[in-house]
Amino acid sequence: MMRSRPTRTAIRSLAVAAAIALVGAACEGGRDKPSSDPTTGGAGSSPSTGPGTPEPIIDASNCPPYELEGDTIKFGMSLPQSGLYSAFDNIRVGAEVYFDYINDQGGVDIGGSKYKIELTAIDDAYEAQSTVNNVNEMINDEDVFGLFSVVGTKNNLAIRDIINEQCVPSLFAATGAAAWGNKDYPWLLGTPLVPYPLEMKALVDYLEANQPDATVAILRASDDFGRTYSDVFGSLIEGTGITVVKDETYNPEQFDTAAQVTSLAATDADVLILGATLLACPDALGNVKDSGWDPLVYLSGTCTSKTIISLAGDAADGVISVSSFMDPADPQWSTNAQMTLFKDTLAEFGPADADPESGVIGFGWSAAAALVHTLTNSPEATRVSVMETARTLTDVSEIGLMVPGAAFNVNADDWFLGETFNIVQYSLDKGYFEVLEGPLDFDGQTASVTPDALINS
Amino acid sequence: MARSTMFFTRLGISVVVLAGLLYVPQYFGTTETQLWSQAIYYSLAAIGLNLLTGYNGQVSIGHGAFFGLGAYTTAILMENNGWQFLPTLPVVIVIALAAGAAFGFPALRLKGLYLALITLGIAALFPDLVNRFASKYGTAGTSLIQPPAVVAPSWADSFTDFDDQYRYYMALFIGVVMLVLAANLVRGRFGRALVAVRDHESAASILGIDVARVKVSAFAISSAYAAVAGSVSVLIEGSANAGKVEVFRQSILFLAAIVIGGVATVIGPVVGAFVVVFGQDFAEDLIDDKPELAPATFGILLILLMYVLPDGIIGGARRLLRRLTDRSAAEPAPTPRTT
Amino acid sequence: MTLFLQQLMNGIGNGVIYASVALALVLIYRTTGILNFAQGEMALFATYCTWKLSDEGVGIVAAIAISMVFAFVTGAVVERVLIRPVERASPFVILIVTIGMFLAVNSLAVTIFGDDEKQLPSAFADGGWSVGDVSITYEFVGLVLVLVAECVLLFLLLQRTKLGLGLRAVASNAESARLVGISSGTMLMFGWAIAAALGALGGAMYVPTTPALTAGSMQAVLVYALAGATLGGFDSPVGAVAGGLVVGVGEAMAIQYIEPLHDIELVVPFALIGIVLLFKPTGLFGRNVVERV
Repeated sequence: MMRSRPTRTAIRSLAVAAAIALVGAACEGGRDKPSSDPTTGGAGSSPSTGPGTPEPIIDASNCPPYELEGDTIKFGMSLPQSGLYSAFDNIRVGAEVYFDYINDQGGVDIGGSKYKIELTAIDDAYEAQSTVNNVNEMINDEDVFGLFSVVGTKNNLAIRDIINEQCVPSLFAATGAAAWGNKDYPWLLGTPLVPYPLEMKALVDYLEANQPDATVAILRASDDFGRTYSDVFGSLIEGTGITVVKDETYNPEQFDTAAQVTSLAATDADVLILGATLLACPDALGNVKDSGWDPLVYLSGTCTSKTIISLAGDAADGVISVSSFMDPADPQWSTNAQMTLFKDTLAEFGPADADPESGVIGFGWSAAAALVHTLTNSPEATRVSVMETARTLTDVSEIGLMVPGAAFNVNADDWFLGETFNIVQYSLDKGYFEVLEGPLDFDGQTASVTPDALINS
Repeated sequence: MARSTMFFTRLGISVVVLAGLLYVPQYFGTTETQLWSQAIYYSLAAIGLNLLTGYNGQVSIGHGAFFGLGAYTTAILMENNGWQFLPTLPVVIVIALAAGAAFGFPALRLKGLYLALITLGIAALFPDLVNRFASKYGTAGTSLIQPPAVVAPSWADSFTDFDDQYRYYMALFIGVVMLVLAANLVRGRFGRALVAVRDHESAASILGIDVARVKVSAFAISSAYAAVAGSVSVLIEGSANAGKVEVFRQSILFLAAIVIGGVATVIGPVVGAFVVVFGQDFAEDLIDDKPELAPATFGILLILLMYVLPDGIIGGARRLLRRLTDRSAAEPAPTPRTT
Repeated sequence: MTLFLQQLMNGIGNGVIYASVALALVLIYRTTGILNFAQGEMALFATYCTWKLSDEGVGIVAAIAISMVFAFVTGAVVERVLIRPVERASPFVILIVTIGMFLAVNSLAVTIFGDDEKQLPSAFADGGWSVGDVSITYEFVGLVLVLVAECVLLFLLLQRTKLGLGLRAVASNAESARLVGISSGTMLMFGWAIAAALGALGGAMYVPTTPALTAGSMQAVLVYALAGATLGGFDSPVGAVAGGLVVGVGEAMAIQYIEPLHDIELVVPFALIGIVLLFKPTGLFGRNVVERV
């Protein structure tokens, strides 16, 4: 189509020729041609992987070259810092405190050399398109080594093709979706949060033991995140006495659930599953209380932070959920060494207004600790090596605020973390989540309890 | 100035600007080139909105929806049906013309504020509709659709080393063609009819202009421009997306672009679109450690621009030019003028 | 039936909020012919002030009152400083100025008060009555009463006071109003001031019905309020109230009873508007006048 306009093409060719001549002649601002020299690449066809990994999981043969320069290793983070989801910015706060703490000790040791960790964070307001732009910018312009804890299911889905093509490790993505088990995307590793499908597995087990004939109502976000809860729950209760009586959705861009809760309350179900996140959780809890309905409420693990729960006031009393981390507000951990390290370091390096009882800050801290653990165990400071190490993490325990006794494993068959966790219940009087049962060990089970379509779509 | 000098001045300026635009992706890196490409598709949408709002007086705060319609049509055809980018454009244009016309008919009954608010309604509603109906095409059930990236064909090797340069040139090409088409449209019969209907509807109808047809056509054509802009955004960004905030934001930014550039001028929307795109980028860079202040900086920039240049940049430039030429003409016999 | 009544209450609960924001929009539109896009964000800023005061220990009712005074003054200043210079410019210019304000005020609020969720206490007591199976919260009754009081006071102000007469005169014909000695500038300033104060009140009523005060709190409300105002007729306060209520109730009923409209409830208000405007292009209660944009 373009070639059928000879005059234009000619003019353009002339102009472009002139332009190229100019670039070549004088201009330092001109962009470089892509390097065709394969030897500059640290990744390339480097055979070296971690010891004890006979078969490399990651095929790096088509990767663009990347070499770490200097003694700083830079990670990029795209997350909502503005808008309705800006509360997730506390993940960055927790992570930065941990990195400051490590840098203060001289940095992280990778393959015998010390590196300072630098974190660059860009706001995406939870918009997947912005995440894509941010990630492109961080990879192309800021030359990050890898990505760390990118927030959001749809946001991570949107960038996984990019990181696959560019061979950029994206570690501990802050979402518990089942899709991170998809073997076509080896460069993306999920989170130490409990995978959403396992939340439902734990709930079904719990109900079978305590309320085998329960009627269940579901309120969930009308997106992939919410759909995971209802799909997995629906498939797990087949053959049990548990029934779903109503499944309602709310618009995740508005957080208003009054009409939906009224509709669900009319069913008078025994159990309510809230496959919701952030402000929709307290909103729904408040509406449930106003309606006079008194179900056992299961709350998504994404909603268990102190900030969110305190917004619900007394309506949050008695809700159950799961957590793979210690609740910083729970005094039973006050003498735990992991917890005291967290609180002391936060007081020393953190911003003055940071809340030491915030579970979101604690999560960021824990994810950062997992990253440092991975880097330390990586035999060399290359993208492939770090990713191979992340894919073969074995018996990782007592990292960050991980529940004592919990460990996570990642291997060729099991791509999920956070599979050991407690069932917890919120107590209004005490002001924190009490451990109800646990730690429960579901290591390696995420893929088997999840409908295949959720993982490999 | 004589007519022919005027023509040659314009031609000269166009050639220089075009040469500059062709040079852009050779000079700048990926991120800056992306920004220039964004300015191009914002220009396209603004050119279309200007036909409707500037020349025809029908205010729309909902063109983000038509933009999204184009983006989704292109993205779905590429992702699901394996189409190339360019062949999707005729389909996009036909669909958008139909959607615009379908909307233009009821709009005949509405004026000013009421029309504006109804269009705002489609901008608010569009993301919900996409989430509901287009999400089955997206990544794992989300409404974000990422078709395969457009890569440079081998014949383009002589002037592109990177795929994004090729995509920029493609956007520029589409942009220039559509600008020339719009310029011819407003300078011709249809353009005069648009203005006549805007300025005095009943007078226009006495003159034998089919008011309804003109207004519906304006709606249809401007929707098509917005939709093509959306298609080009898929070419540049590699995805179609419809967040609520985003669609609303785009809708008001398109409007801001035509007012900043100059309402009912040919080149004004293009100038305005560049100011909007680069102004936001500038606002983001201005205060580095306070990203939350960027919208405030941009908002204040908009307000200041309106105080200084209420008739837009092109309007202001024209005033300046007129004053300069008047003065030089008046020099032989200086007579005091009050301006 | 119980379910229907409960959903009706949900709808009215949201509807009174939409109505009160719509009322503020209509007030500015009637006196100045301007649609203030920043209305919601100005209300947001005032609501942050209410939160700040209450956080500092001021009682919630006093905090709302102080914020309303603050908003009243700010509204007047905004009119004087930001709007006056472009008053005679084209409607487009004014539109862009209010859009600029929309962006700026939101971002300033976040910068000043921080972007974490704030909890604003409700002006009404917790709890409520149960009538049969329907639960009526004190807050619901309070919201309705506040809206009624707002309407009555506004009616008295417009119809029974000299200020109101001036406002109406300027609204119907600024030029003749000036000839009979009414300063249109002062009146416009008052229009903006009152609308801003109403916005502050609306924000303080609305936010406690949501889980938290955030930077995005007022944006969805603005869309619904605009829908309500359009439905009712943009120059009619009665229309704004009726329109806001219809929008709120329609939305709640759609969620309960129209399964295919799940997640696209927003279709309801705009479909209603579409139908009404086809038969009455200036809304249910609007008069046929020449509009500025």
